[in-house]
Amino acid sequence: MKTLLVDDEPLARRELRRLLAAFPSVQIVGEASNIDEAHECIEALSPDVVFLDIQMPGGTGFDLLARLDHVPRIVFTTAYDQYAIKAFDVNALDYLLKPVEPQRLAAAIRKIQETAPRETASSGALPLEQLFIKDGPRCWFVPLRQVSLFTSEGNYVRLHWGQERPLLGRSLAALERKLDQKRFFRANRAQIVNLDFIQHVETGEGGRLHVQLRDGPEIEVSRRQAREFKERSTIA
Amino acid sequence: MRPTANIGAVRKTSPLYWALQLVGWGFHFNAQASGEVVFAGATWSQATMVWGTASVAGILLTQTFRWTAKRRGWLALPPYPLFARVAGSALLLAALSHLLVMSLSQIVYGTPVAPIMGSFYERLSESMQLRNQFIQILVIYASWLALYMAFAMQRRRQQLSEQLQSTQLRLLKSQLNPHFLFNALNGLRSLIEDEPARARDAVTQLARTLRYTLASGDEDLVSLERELEMVEDYLALESMRLAERLGVERRIEPAARASRVPTMLLQTLVENAIKHGIAALKEGGTLRIEARIVKDELRLTVTNPRPRGIAATDGAGVGLQNAAERLRLLFGARGGLNLDLSQPDRAVAEARMPR
Repeated sequence: MKTLLVDDEPLARRELRRLLAAFPSVQIVGEASNIDEAHECIEALSPDVVFLDIQMPGGTGFDLLARLDHVPRIVFTTAYDQYAIKAFDVNALDYLLKPVEPQRLAAAIRKIQETAPRETASSGALPLEQLFIKDGPRCWFVPLRQVSLFTSEGNYVRLHWGQERPLLGRSLAALERKLDQKRFFRANRAQIVNLDFIQHVETGEGGRLHVQLRDGPEIEVSRRQAREFKERSTIA
Repeated sequence: MRPTANIGAVRKTSPLYWALQLVGWGFHFNAQASGEVVFAGATWSQATMVWGTASVAGILLTQTFRWTAKRRGWLALPPYPLFARVAGSALLLAALSHLLVMSLSQIVYGTPVAPIMGSFYERLSESMQLRNQFIQILVIYASWLALYMAFAMQRRRQQLSEQLQSTQLRLLKSQLNPHFLFNALNGLRSLIEDEPARARDAVTQLARTLRYTLASGDEDLVSLERELEMVEDYLALESMRLAERLGVERRIEPAARASRVPTMLLQTLVENAIKHGIAALKEGGTLRIEARIVKDELRLTVTNPRPRGIAATDGAGVGLQNAAERLRLLFGARGGLNLDLSQPDRAVAEARMPR
């Protein structure tokens, strides 16, 4: 299990390294002392697990996650930010309080190994499965197959995810390149729609299509995209 | 936000003060004017000209006194200088008011003695009548000032004890900074195996820091010398965490060391400088601690680099606000805290107090 340690305090990294030495399955591939370094390390080393501090100079651990396409397994290590972690709607995260108790660490590692191995962060070619989104004070891990619609808002993208409408700090075009082409379809200049959420389709004037989403708005498919849409839906 | 801001809010004037001010001077006007009409045969318009104006002037003069006393922090002065200032003010206000009444009487009645005075002291010479007129006015102003000071002192004492208690509690809570504490313990755990000697030192430093913090609720003031010892322990523990990212420069005037400072004040400034400055910078930086005596004032200055482009948090943190409030409670207008964020990459916190 390739592991990366991210903490701005050298002593804290040293301590974690020592504690992890008791677990033969854990292979520490690198250390980073801020989120820029951590970002580089994750891209270069594609670790399976990241032990991540929250308060660091230049940006928090949450800021780091928001920058990543493929988020590895994260175990937050924190002196006192457990409330911050609990407050977020992030289910996929575990956390350890510093000083770290060996038993808690063992439990966290067991949990990681028990959960089915997911595709690793190295699989940059694979489509995105989930996104970590930090919108203002709130954070989410958003499973993309649950997102019905992406709407462009300037350089940002608004997600329609259940009742939530988090804002993602990327452009629609940049996002489209990374989405699963089988599931998501660019309906028009400003919208990408999840095909799984389509309830019914009507033909409108001038060759345009009107797509009704489950529990959602009606989307217009531009004339240019309508042909491709028909081809795709007959295949599917 | 302004780059430089005085921290903390100014207390509002109570409506009771204004009620008493209006009722008091209204009563004064009514007593003098009706006396002049009934006993001295003046008309209401004449009496109103003289005593109406004198009462309005009374409000303005006492208001000016109050403003000056507040601005200069007279309430925080020791008894003798306080008495000297209040007595001097009473004489000055009475003299001004006396001159005003004399001039008004001269204009309205053609004599410097107001008729009501003339009717009371009929048999006395004019100069004696004027002297009595002055004394009567002096009694009025002296009573006003005595009453005001009594109220203000009482109110201040009450506020002091209430607020000191609540700031002490808040202070204690904010000072037992869990982030610092648990990070220090984590660093310590790491040192135990590799550098046991350093670990032992760190335990001692941590123990002293905690003891000082817990005792800080009992005493308002300590010598700067003692506070500096605590700050050194604290800095040693932070260096353990931040390693070479934390540099410290000290410029302490020997004369300043004996000055009394609020407990944990310098510590709060230093902690703030590390939290929002040094620790927020990847490369860290050097913290400068200065203590100097300027005239009869002690100035404690903590300067630190800070991340550029990060908007300063609204006003100041809770720690600094508590510190500012405490300075004001202990020293009145003679104590204060200023956080200067006018430079984009540096913060300067300065605390002032009587030496």
